[in-house]
Amino acid sequence: MAVMRMGYMHVKVTDLAEAKQHYANTVGLYQTLEQDGKAYFKGWDEWDHHSVVIEEGGVGYVKCGFKCEKPEDVADIELKAVAMGYPVARMTAGENPEVGDGIRVTLPSGHEIEFYSSMTAWGLEVGTHNPDAFPRHMVGIGAPRLDHALLWVQDVAEIEKFFMDCTGMWATERVRTSLDDDAHTIATWLTIGESNHDIALLEAPESKIHHFAFEMRGWNDILHAADIFAMDDTPIDIGPTRHGITRGTTIYFFDPAGNRNETFSGGYRCFRDRPVVTWTPDQLGKAIFYHQRELNERFLTVAT
Amino acid sequence: MPKLTVAPQGISVDLNEDETILEGLFRHGYAYRIGCRRGGCAICKVDLLEGSVTYNRPVAESVLSAEEQATGTCLTCRAVAETDITIALRDEDLRRVASLLALYAGTRTG
Repeated sequence: MAVMRMGYMHVKVTDLAEAKQHYANTVGLYQTLEQDGKAYFKGWDEWDHHSVVIEEGGVGYVKCGFKCEKPEDVADIELKAVAMGYPVARMTAGENPEVGDGIRVTLPSGHEIEFYSSMTAWGLEVGTHNPDAFPRHMVGIGAPRLDHALLWVQDVAEIEKFFMDCTGMWATERVRTSLDDDAHTIATWLTIGESNHDIALLEAPESKIHHFAFEMRGWNDILHAADIFAMDDTPIDIGPTRHGITRGTTIYFFDPAGNRNETFSGGYRCFRDRPVVTWTPDQLGKAIFYHQRELNERFLTVAT
Repeated sequence: MPKLTVAPQGISVDLNEDETILEGLFRHGYAYRIGCRRGGCAICKVDLLEGSVTYNRPVAESVLSAEEQATGTCLTCRAVAETDITIALRDEDLRRVASLLALYAGTRTG
């Protein structure tokens, strides 16, 4: 199995001009293309053509893409997904600008997930020849890269099974109704590699996106990001704070259409033989917001 | 300066020109359950009982449908009063979280 990372997140925004301002000047991404009412962005520490796509008209999740190492890896996921009865469609190179051939799986939650193995190379902003530590003229919070997303789904165990059986991801942490073997899974954090999570799933009445996150270089940058949000009047949901789950440091904030973004940093390295962490509902406040130890009124109700 | 009244308590505050209902309430020290403050999550919906509002940004149909708008649902984070208006919160009461702000809400800083 060789899914490497979440390669892109594609969301709708009500006003493209305002959203471009947010992702370019506040989040500090680099716009690489604008075409057919969509704008394409990448972070400074990403080398592929884009990692964020915003599309004018509405709000919320459109789809996300996971990049595989080789075409055979995509074929392997297709084989497994078809065998297990998931709706799978082929996508051809260019269907998503600058993205190669791949497949599109529609999950039982209705979320579309794409798998591909090539995207036009753009290059790191610092280059690859004797590079500096970061771009000299970073903009806004200077988010280096897309990291992960949390999706709202009705049946967490069902969607988790897709990612585990078809893509080789594994769970690092879960929220379960109890510590019993037959407990019901309320939420799960799934990883591809050594990060805490590449995608997370939370039980909810609707299929939506809760947030997508950018990986920051540490707590200092998280604090700096919060300062930038104050300057730019970017609404902060919570933070800077720490998650109990993943131990990551965080700010949840909103783009101008109300899609929730996150700056995330930290966590611990994960290996396949790492025991799964289990949280129980009585400790959910601490699990989500480690310092406040209680959920705010938005965490379980606000998604797009 | 349009007047905002919140039923059933009858709390009323003056709204500035181009100010959203939500901004006006918070400026006066009031609060209730809200979400993204950017028109995306629909959590701040209230019933518009009297008066009319306009929206300062495009609002997604999936968040506030034309039918909802026609039947008096209002998204306070994006709605700007065109006349004096009366709203009612849904399943909750307005909270006064900062009475000091109510005292000085008329203060201008230029």
